[in-house]
Amino acid sequence: MAPAKLTLADKIHAGVLSIGVAGLVCAYWVAFFHSDLTMPNFVHNLTNPDLIQFTTVYLGFQSAFPLADLFVAVTSALAAFYLIGRDAKAVLFGLVGSGALGFLALIDISFNLTHGLYSPVFLFKDGGLRMEVIINISCAVGAFWSIWRFWGHPLRRADDRARRETLSDANLATGEPAGR
Amino acid sequence: MSSHIWCGLLTNLPLLCFLTALAIGACAEGAAMIFGLWTYRSRTFLLLNILVTFGIVEGLGVGWVIGGRQMFLSIAPVLFMVGAVVGILVEGLNEYWWRGSIWPDRPLLGIERSIDKAAFVGVAWGFVPVFTVAISRLVISSGWAA
Repeated sequence: MAPAKLTLADKIHAGVLSIGVAGLVCAYWVAFFHSDLTMPNFVHNLTNPDLIQFTTVYLGFQSAFPLADLFVAVTSALAAFYLIGRDAKAVLFGLVGSGALGFLALIDISFNLTHGLYSPVFLFKDGGLRMEVIINISCAVGAFWSIWRFWGHPLRRADDRARRETLSDANLATGEPAGR
Repeated sequence: MSSHIWCGLLTNLPLLCFLTALAIGACAEGAAMIFGLWTYRSRTFLLLNILVTFGIVEGLGVGWVIGGRQMFLSIAPVLFMVGAVVGILVEGLNEYWWRGSIWPDRPLLGIERSIDKAAFVGVAWGFVPVFTVAISRLVISSGWAA
């Protein structure tokens, strides 16, 4: 079976995986450690003791993400790498990376929902939280779109090159014609 | 060796990060040459890889700029993440367009296909900024760079 052709949709998908996921996840964490860009405004409120306690919980929760996001960024970059090479492993890494992204997005959404961070009162006055909502929604939607797309991708049913080469060698050795 | 190296000491010497990454690059390329892991089309690509990719991008750019002034254990996953993503990009560009280096036919740690070797080495690039910052901090703490 010939490898699937890289279509415009595949190019867009590879761009989303490499820039939209891997690149932006890296950028988010660089900004997290070097600036206040990703922080909600309430973390700077040092007058309310309840808010200070919640800020400790919030920052502790956020700080647990880099190792898991590392996994998402690397698998997404690998999915883009293999997708451009029209290799069947794109589907493996794509499903793993997108699944992990969706999982992390749902954990974040669950935390924010149960702590009332999506309430209009918070969102109206806190630009950091508005950005958080946009990140949560785009991660969840992007992850499930990517899973849906990989599941229907022709590469999912394609043999990878190693198997094709092995089959081809075996056919040559036995004198049978190559192909299935 | 005191444990504060890994959590609190600030690395404020970009030149040291650059030189450490160059040293890591020279060691990696030396090992590749000895064991025949990959070969370069010309020496220019080899020198560019050590100087630009190892020294400037992974050492100075990722290592020092991102991890030079942060607590090591907190920033280490981010260093690996950015280093690996940049590495996969570099290996992808080399695999599909530049062809500056090529893979021999024999397997690399059991990996047979060139595309898989490129992906594996791309992820391994993530260790470069991590080791760069760790070694730089060790050098500073030992007083060699004073």
